[in-house]
Order: sequence, then C-alpha cells, then structure tokens
Amino acid sequence: MNVFRSEGHIGRWLGSRVPGATLSVTKLCELAHAWWGDRIDPNWQPRTRGQNQAILIGLGLTDAFWNLSGADPDR
Amino acid sequence: MHEADVALRNLTYGLFVELGRAPTVDDLVARVGATPDEVWAGLRRLHDEHALVLQSHTRELRMANPFSAVPTAYRVFVDNRWWYANCAWDAFGVCAALHGDGRIESSCPDCGEPISVEVRDQQPDDDTLLFHCLVPAVRWWDDIVFT
Repeated sequence: MNVFRSEGHIGRWLGSRVPGATLSVTKLCELAHAWWGDRIDPNWQPRTRGQNQAILIGLGLTDAFWNLSGADPDR
Repeated sequence: MHEADVALRNLTYGLFVELGRAPTVDDLVARVGATPDEVWAGLRRLHDEHALVLQSHTRELRMANPFSAVPTAYRVFVDNRWWYANCAWDAFGVCAALHGDGRIESSCPDCGEPISVEVRDQQPDDDTLLFHCLVPAVRWWDDIVFT
C-alpha cells in the first residue's frame, strides 16, 4: 500500500503485475480517519467484519476489490 | 476476543503511544502483574486475532496498526514526535489515531523522489498524489507484511 506521484509511476512500478485499486490521497485520508480513528481509545473494542465493510461502503469503496468476505475482521 | 485480551491489547496500544515505541513483554508484565509467559500467550492470541502483529522469530511486536514497531518507508511527524507507519494507509492512520495534524514523509516507490504530505484538519495538502493498494481486501491478512 503505497503513495505514488502519478498514474504513470504506478504503471511503471506494477510492471506486469495485475493492478489493484487506486485512490486519491484525499480519499485515502478519509478512509484512514474512518478506519484508524479509534485505535488508541482506551475503551477500544474489536469491530466485526460487517462494521469494517460498512466503513468501506460508506466511502464508496463498493467494488469486489474491497470485499472483505472471507477475510479476517480487521486489517 | 476475550475481555482480558482486549484489555491487554488496549494496554499495548496505550504504552506504544506513551513510550513512543513498541512496548516489550517486560513493559507489559510490569503493568499487568502477570508472568512473561502469560503476557506472551495473550499477545499470541491477539496476533492470531489480527489485533496486532508479532515478529516471527522473536518475542517482540512488529505492528500495532497503524503504528510500526520497526523502521519503514513511511515516517509520520505528529505532536512533536516521529512515528513509523506500516504503509501509506497506516501513515494517514497515525494522524487519525493520534487525532492530530501531521506530516508524512516517504518516497515514490517507482522513481524514489521524496514525497511529503501535510495533514491538516484531516485533509492532505496535496491531492495530486495517488494511493495504490495492490492486494484485494479479502487477501490482506494472507501476508500482512507484504500487504
């Protein structure tokens, strides 16, 4: 999970690999705050996979790439 | 996840921020009054639950996501302290977890040019940069270090 200067840089870095998902850093920042904002809360409780999926869906990350089904609850 | 393990996890994260580094088993033993083996067993359960990540060959923490216990390509400056993050997502996550503005420093994995992003009020100052996630969500934990 990396930050690049442009699509061209991503393409060169990928080479022959299948591309994953690309987001603007503004969307990434939004995602990070929704995902990690509770991490040092002294009363933190684990989230379910469904709760995590809801965060992704709420940010418009709805395609199959972001589907957590079969994955563990937390990243 | 058992309540005692959640408490150990929350203590571990709290100490990470308090100390500015990953707590050791001895750090945790001093706080919980358990034996080193008991603390380690709890950390192993948390690792298996993906609540944190342990080193594979030593009794040490590797990740308390979004924080990294080891140096990485993503450094984050928040509250007058530098932190390492596990990846780009986690770099923004360090600002989020600490509820602070910050500066992320890294480099483009393609060309090696430095990348610096300021985060103010939960917004990055450069929207021309792009985030790429190679591994689909369903496989993130197959190899979390690679992810």
